[in-house]
Formats: sequence, C-alpha cells, structure tokens
Amino acid sequence: MASYVLRRILLMIPVLLGTTFVIYAAVYALPGDPVQALAGPDHVVTPATAAAIKEHYHLGDPFLVQYWHYLTGLLHGDFGIDLANTPVSAIIAASWPVTVKLAVMTWIIEAVAGVGLGYLAALRAGRLPDLAVLGGSSLVLGVPYFITAYVAQIVLGVKLHWFPVSGTDDGWPLSYLVPALCLALLGVPEIARLTRASVLENLGADFVDTATAKGLSRSRVLVRHVLRTSLVPVVSMLGTNLGYLLSGTILIEGIFNLPGLGFQVFQSVQQHDGPTVVGISTLLVLVFLLVNLVVDLLYGVLDPRIRLD
Amino acid sequence: MALGAAGALAAVSACGGGGAQSGGTSAAGGSYSIGVPSWYIAHLTPGKAGFSGVADAIWTPLTQVDRGGKVVDAVAQSLRSTDQKHWTITLKSGWKFQNGEPVTAQSFADSWNAAAYAPNAMTNGYLFANIDGYAALNPTSGKPTTDKLSGVQVVGASTLKVTLVKPLSMFPYVLAGTAFAPMPKAAFKDLAAYDRLPIGNGPYQVASPGLAPGGQQITLKRFDGYPGAKGKAAQITVKTYQTDATAFTSFRSGAVDIATASGNDLSTASRMYSSQLVTSPTAAVVYLGFPLWDRRFADVRVREAFSLAVDRKAIVASLLQGHAQTAAGIAPNVIAGGGGTDCADCSYDPARARQLLAAAGGWKGSLTLWTKQDPDMQTVLEAIVNQLRSNLGISSLSMKVQPTDQIYPNLLAHKTTGPFLLYMGASYPNLYSQADQLFGSTSGTNVGGYKSGAFDSLMNRAAAATTSGAGLKLAQQATRTAMADLPLAPLYYPVSGAVHAKKLSGLQLGYLGDVDLSSVTVR
Repeated sequence: MASYVLRRILLMIPVLLGTTFVIYAAVYALPGDPVQALAGPDHVVTPATAAAIKEHYHLGDPFLVQYWHYLTGLLHGDFGIDLANTPVSAIIAASWPVTVKLAVMTWIIEAVAGVGLGYLAALRAGRLPDLAVLGGSSLVLGVPYFITAYVAQIVLGVKLHWFPVSGTDDGWPLSYLVPALCLALLGVPEIARLTRASVLENLGADFVDTATAKGLSRSRVLVRHVLRTSLVPVVSMLGTNLGYLLSGTILIEGIFNLPGLGFQVFQSVQQHDGPTVVGISTLLVLVFLLVNLVVDLLYGVLDPRIRLD
Repeated sequence: MALGAAGALAAVSACGGGGAQSGGTSAAGGSYSIGVPSWYIAHLTPGKAGFSGVADAIWTPLTQVDRGGKVVDAVAQSLRSTDQKHWTITLKSGWKFQNGEPVTAQSFADSWNAAAYAPNAMTNGYLFANIDGYAALNPTSGKPTTDKLSGVQVVGASTLKVTLVKPLSMFPYVLAGTAFAPMPKAAFKDLAAYDRLPIGNGPYQVASPGLAPGGQQITLKRFDGYPGAKGKAAQITVKTYQTDATAFTSFRSGAVDIATASGNDLSTASRMYSSQLVTSPTAAVVYLGFPLWDRRFADVRVREAFSLAVDRKAIVASLLQGHAQTAAGIAPNVIAGGGGTDCADCSYDPARARQLLAAAGGWKGSLTLWTKQDPDMQTVLEAIVNQLRSNLGISSLSMKVQPTDQIYPNLLAHKTTGPFLLYMGASYPNLYSQADQLFGSTSGTNVGGYKSGAFDSLMNRAAAATTSGAGLKLAQQATRTAMADLPLAPLYYPVSGAVHAKKLSGLQLGYLGDVDLSSVTVR
C-alpha cells in the first residue's frame, strides 16, 4: 500500500513536467502580441517601452529559455509574477477558496443526485422513474451547461429573486448554489446512467442471491451488498469527472462572476498572461492527480476484493 | 467598448437631468455600487490607468472638459502661451492630495517623468510624445540616459514651464487626460503598491486595502478636503465584471446599482428601465477602413462604391435598434468641431455604387473583410458583407474576426487582406484629436496608411493657431481634405447607456459614455 502510494506520487513528477511544458508552449503559441495585449488595443507601444516590458518578463528570450526560467522558479516554490506585477501565488491564494467551495458543492450535488437517480432508475427498471431518468439525462446532456447557466441566472436570479446572480457577496452556500447546480449538470447524467447500469448488473450477481438466501432483509441486501459494490465504477468516474468540473469552472466562474481560479485563467488567457495561466493550470493538474489517487485508494474500502500493491 | 484611449471629461448628456453643481459641502451621503470592466481598476497609476469615470474620481488633472465640451481649468490657475509651443502653467493654491501633501508643480513633473520614462513601461507613456525630451526617454534602442523630460521645468511651487516638440493649440485638452494627473512624493517609495492603493487629488479616495491581488472590487470614499465640486455620495463600491452582459444581469437582479448597457442589453434597458436609463453619444466613430496599400483599393471610385453600397440607416435602425447615429463625418457633435458632414459618399445609393465600381474596372476575385472581436461589430460586419454582395455583386466575400491585440499589429504589418470595421474614440474631445489619430501620417492608429501632405500641413497650422477657435476651423478644413480622398467610410457614432437603481438620481455620462461618479446622488 505505502509503496503503491509512493510510486503513484513519483509518477506525478513527469506528468507535471509534461503538463507545464505543454501549457507553457500553448500560451507561448497564442497569436497576438503580449506586449500589445498588456498595453491595450488603443495604446501605442514605443520600442523602448516594449523593450522594457520584454526584458522584465523575459519575453524576448527563446521559448526554451523562457520555460527554463519559469521551471527553475517553480522548483523554488516561485510561481512567478503576472503581467500586472502581482505574484501568481498571491492570485492563487486569493482565488482558490472560491473554486474549492464551488467544486466541493458541485461534487456533492453530482454524487447525491447522480447516485440517487441512478439507483432509483435501476430499482424501477423499465418503468416510469427509469424512463424519466434516462430521458431527463439525455435532455440535460443535449443542452450545453453554459446555456443552462444563463437561463438559470435569468429565471432564478432576475425573475424570481431566489438566488444571487453573480459575485460572492452573499457568501457560502448561497452564492455558490446556482453555479454549482449548473456545473453539476455536466456530471449528473453520466453518473446516474453508470450507477443504473452497475446496480442492474449487480442485482443479478451470485453474491446477491447468496445474501438473499442467507435471509438478509431486502433493504440490507440492496444497500450493503448491491449499492456498495455498484459504487466502485461510480467513484472512479467521480474522480475523472473532477477534470471536466475544473475546466467547467472557467466558463461558470466567468458567467457568475466568481473570482476563482477558473475566472483568473479566463482573464489571463485573454491578456496572454502566461505565468498565471501556467501556474493555475499546474495547480489544477496537481489537484486532479491527487484526488484520483485518493479515489483509487477508496476502491479497496468499497470492495474488499480489490488489493492495491 | 474600446473606451481605452481617452480623456476624462463630462460632455453633453442626453438626459439633461443634472442639476446645478454647487461647490458647497453637501450633507447628502449614502453609498452605491457600480459595475465596471476589470481594466478600469486593473492599474491605478496615472501613467497606466485606463481613462474612465473611476480614474476621474481618483485624480483631478490640470484641466477638465465641462459638459458643454469646453476645456476649463481644474488644478490649473492659468495656461499661457504666445507661440503654442512654450506653455507656462500656474497652479491654484489649496489643492491637496488625499494624504494631505500639497499638490505642487513638482507633483505634476514627477508623475509625467515617471510615465514617459520607458523602463517604467507605463502604457500611457506615449501620450507624452508631444513634450520635448520624450525621445531621450524613449530611445529606439538601448537604455535612456536620463529619466527627466527636458521639456518640463518646475519654476517654484506653483509654476510649471512646458516646452512641446511642436506647437499644439489643443494642449489644454491633452492635459485633461488621466495620464497627466499629479502624483504625491509618497507614491515613488513603492510604485507597485501605489498602483493598487493610489493617493490621488480627486473627489474620491481609494479606501485601504485598495485592489487586493486577484481582487474584484475597490471601495471609494469621498475626499472631504477636495477643493472642487465634492462628490455627492459618501461611498462607492466599484465592482468589476468580465463582460457588460454579466454586469447588466447583476443590475437586473439588484446586486449592483449602476451598470453599463450595451448591444442587446441597451434595447432591453430601454424597454424595461426607460426611466432609469441614461444614454449619450460617445465621442467615437465606427468606420469601414480601406487598406490603401492594397492596389485594389487605390482607385478612389472603388472606395466610394463600397461606401455608397452600405445602408447605414438600416444598420442603425434594425441591427443596433436605434442606439447609434448614422455618420457622415469622423466625429459626432458632442465634441468640439464634430458633427461635420464631410463625407459626400456616406449616403446609400447602390445604383451609383455599381456604376462607380464598373467605371473603376469592376471587381475581380474574392474579398475578406476584417473586424475585431466584439458582438456588435461582428453583427454589423455580417450585414455589410451581405449588402456588398447584393449591391456590388461581389460574390466571394468572407469575414475574419480577431481579438484587438491581434488585429492592430496585423493591420500595421499589412497582414490583413481587405477593408476593416473598427472603432476609434477621440483621446480628447476635439476634432483635431480624432483627425490626427485617423489620418495623421505619424499616428500609430492610422492603420489604413493614409498619407497626405495637404492634410498634414493644415493640421500643423491648426496646431499652431493662436486661438482654439481658429485651430478648430483649420482642423475641420483638414478633415474635409482627408475625407475627399475617402481613406475610410464613416458608418455610425455609437451610443452608450447606463442604467441606475431607482434610489439614485442625477447620473451624468461623460463624453466617452462613462458615468461621472461624483454626480450621482443617493436618495
């Protein structure tokens, strides 16, 4: 177990190196002039000013030299400074609580609603609740989540005044509820369908017959034996879903004006602000890898047959 | 949306509702919030700040432009020049920064030197190019040898002598820009810290801690030591939004008290909040520019044909729902010298357009039209493409959209391949500024590449004119000269709008369409 965890953590190093390189290269390859983007469209940048900006941010160096400057800084725990002279670590420090609150809430909604609906559909397979879940999930998957977000904003915020439409002024959980709901729509249909399929499969498994034959009550069989075993693929999907979820925050935080990590990435891409984009993306990749490690460790807890070594 | 390049001024407001601005202290207080784009507060140093209503609240430069579009003295007691090249500026006494430090001639010189000094990389620095010594601070290669503008001399605490590179009768207008605001001694201890928590001399001061890293809002508190017209509200929360649409949605839900309404939201606003909407034409023009370096557009008849083939009235009425004015010149009448109808071919005459194009040899091959990323501009360009297709019979037409930071360098490098739809705002509310930006042979925003000796010499005479009235006449004459060559086809003057909560009154828009923060009263 310990050696398994160690191996997984060691494997993260090349993954992180590769990611920073790819993201850095992508930002570097963005069309447009970062110096002009920094100055604003209607400004004239004199050669001397452009030279000063370029020197400050190593923008004149070849790509690999720029990347090396960045990487060595990163190894010293220095995320660099953004084009507005703010340390990227300060931006991250200010933004991560927003994204964590949003992601955790989304995750809870995804897990509770997805598993609940899928379980219900499996137990009533072929009947109305099942058809409703299947049809509903197709509908939700068919509408892009940012469209849902705009509609929810107008209906729930502007028309009904039930929820704030933007910003974090109303604090947790009120400010995060609608954004989290919209973001959860990305994952709920898939999780519900997976849960349904997995529960249906296990309902016909031998160990369920055995448990029933032992005289266990129906509810005990369903919860302790069927649901628990069915959750193994679902949990792994929740782990990979985190990736979609984190990239979804870029749009959702923009629409709801939540100053989280996704919001900063969106703004920084527009401003060609490489250090911020790479810093935050690296952090997100790290979180993704760690969460998936935890998810893998959870397998053993859910299904005693799985051994990690 | 490109309010980036301009001065700080209140001009004509469409609502006309603003009451008398008495200079006396007002007991009225209260607070309100306003939604703005993030660039409004991303930098809070005069040399870097975007020119906006927020910047006007924090700093007061030497001059300001009043609601009638006239330049008036603010911190300046007088501006005198006999040759329009050597200026003697005296300051009023009693002006203080928000930390108590007196505003002196040195405060202006320090701020200007810092902005113009290239290694500081201040993005408004280019605005100082008129001042003698700017070239030494911005060499084409290598590091500058000095960090002071030789053209700015401090003569005592309240007198400043400024020498320009060449005469400029509109210099008092230039001085109204935020870039020319003063900075206190305390600023230079830590310029980076000042950029987030500035100390200005305007009617409002930024409350501690200023703009936090990754932060989204700042709070402005009324500065009670302000010698000019004091702010009406005691406190203002300035919240940033990624888009105007998000800000408008927030306004509709009641989360913010004032928001800009543009595009579709402006139509929604005039339907739903007609009594809470204030609109004003902005000192800007949206135009279809021609790539004069492209042989296909060398013949003026081709350019005239394109201009005549565009139905400006239809674009304004149906696409922009009336929230714009059709243009036959380069500036609306909200700015001094604007409102001219110099463009003879800015009417709609498809038959004549076809004739002209045929006379010039017809059109062969395909054509791409360019614009910047902006919902309104893209819709308008689509309409233009359709009109050119049906009115001129150019069958193979396409359009290309790029972000502003790509399209400008591409235009200047002649990498674009057809006419371009762009926006140009005057950097100060005077026709001279707009004409110089669009047609001046040394202007960085003259992207069409227009060059005319006759225009340049008229503009030089305008700059050297002894009265601003005579200068304006010459600038108008220069504009007529340029428009006869039709280097670009003006299309419309955009209108900007702001919606406000019912509890607010007296809201005024400046000539850029920006809200004058100190005029807003909380009921």
